[in-house]
Amino acid sequence: MIRVAAVGDIHLGPGSAGTLRPAFESLHEQADLLLLAGDLTRHGTAEEGEVVAGEVAGLGIPVVAVLGNHDYQSDQEAEVAAALDRVGVTVLEGEGTVLNIRGARVGVAGTKGFGGGFAGRSGGEFGEPEMKDFIRYTRRCADGLRKSLTMLAEADCAVRIALTHYAPVPDTLAGEPLEIYPFLGSYLLAEAVDEGGADLAVHGHAHMGTEHGMTSEGVRVRNVAQPVIGRAFAVYHLPVHAGGAAAGGGGVKAGADAVGAH
Amino acid sequence: MSAADTAEYRIAHLRDRLASEDIAELGIRIEQRGTSVMLYGTVASDDCRAEILRIAREELAGLPLREDLVVVCADAPDHPEELS
Repeated sequence: MIRVAAVGDIHLGPGSAGTLRPAFESLHEQADLLLLAGDLTRHGTAEEGEVVAGEVAGLGIPVVAVLGNHDYQSDQEAEVAAALDRVGVTVLEGEGTVLNIRGARVGVAGTKGFGGGFAGRSGGEFGEPEMKDFIRYTRRCADGLRKSLTMLAEADCAVRIALTHYAPVPDTLAGEPLEIYPFLGSYLLAEAVDEGGADLAVHGHAHMGTEHGMTSEGVRVRNVAQPVIGRAFAVYHLPVHAGGAAAGGGGVKAGADAVGAH
Repeated sequence: MSAADTAEYRIAHLRDRLASEDIAELGIRIEQRGTSVMLYGTVASDDCRAEILRIAREELAGLPLREDLVVVCADAPDHPEELS
């Protein structure tokens, strides 16, 4: 069994340093890895990235993250990612990483994702170039997720997790106004999860949504936006599939076995 | 037009301000309820809550304001979810 801790939308800034650290101090006793589902900062500045890095440094378990729309606000997303990288956090965008947790290979595929809406009520690549760019960007994110999940399967991962900021399904948006669903996620992400295959899909972004959802092919989806889970993080216990465990033991530092998918 | 008549535009402007100013808050609901405006949702800190209300009172001056903004809990969970 793999213990997955996850939270998104923590929106840290200089004034909120230390907010989550007390809860994170004992995280290694409750979880084998921590997933951060984007919107880690408020404005996406390098300074805020340092606050997030300080909050999750040295937790004793691997930390894997994707960025969110807030983390892009100041055009310093590379600096935010670099601050996280310096403290050992693996930041994914269209790629995957393999962790060795107590002898089991655990794969995490990540992309921020984007909007566009859900099947039957979504935008398409038609008309103005801005509209085409909007949907094409979402499609690129989804393609990266699909390829990463496929590569994690080929890497013999016993457990695979899809990590996004935007929502793959509308289930976990319940509580948000219907009118803004196209800005909260896209069915293209769910399609990628179902085609690539995953044991769990984790996202944030929808503060007024709900925690539980599922893709068409039965992959469980969890909205871990902090306002939704009402805690510093949520913990999910995932079974390890028989025959999927890799030889060897001990944890491998996150990112040491990264696989790209471009 | 009266203040109530233009409330929907003023609410839209408030949303724009909350998104574009330092507070960068996009996660709360702001709705017209009869002649008043209701703000609700979960925010990151007491300071965020105070700043949101300050901007709302400024932007919606003259409109009755009701609010139910709560600060997010940062405690560790007391139990995991078992996924079979």
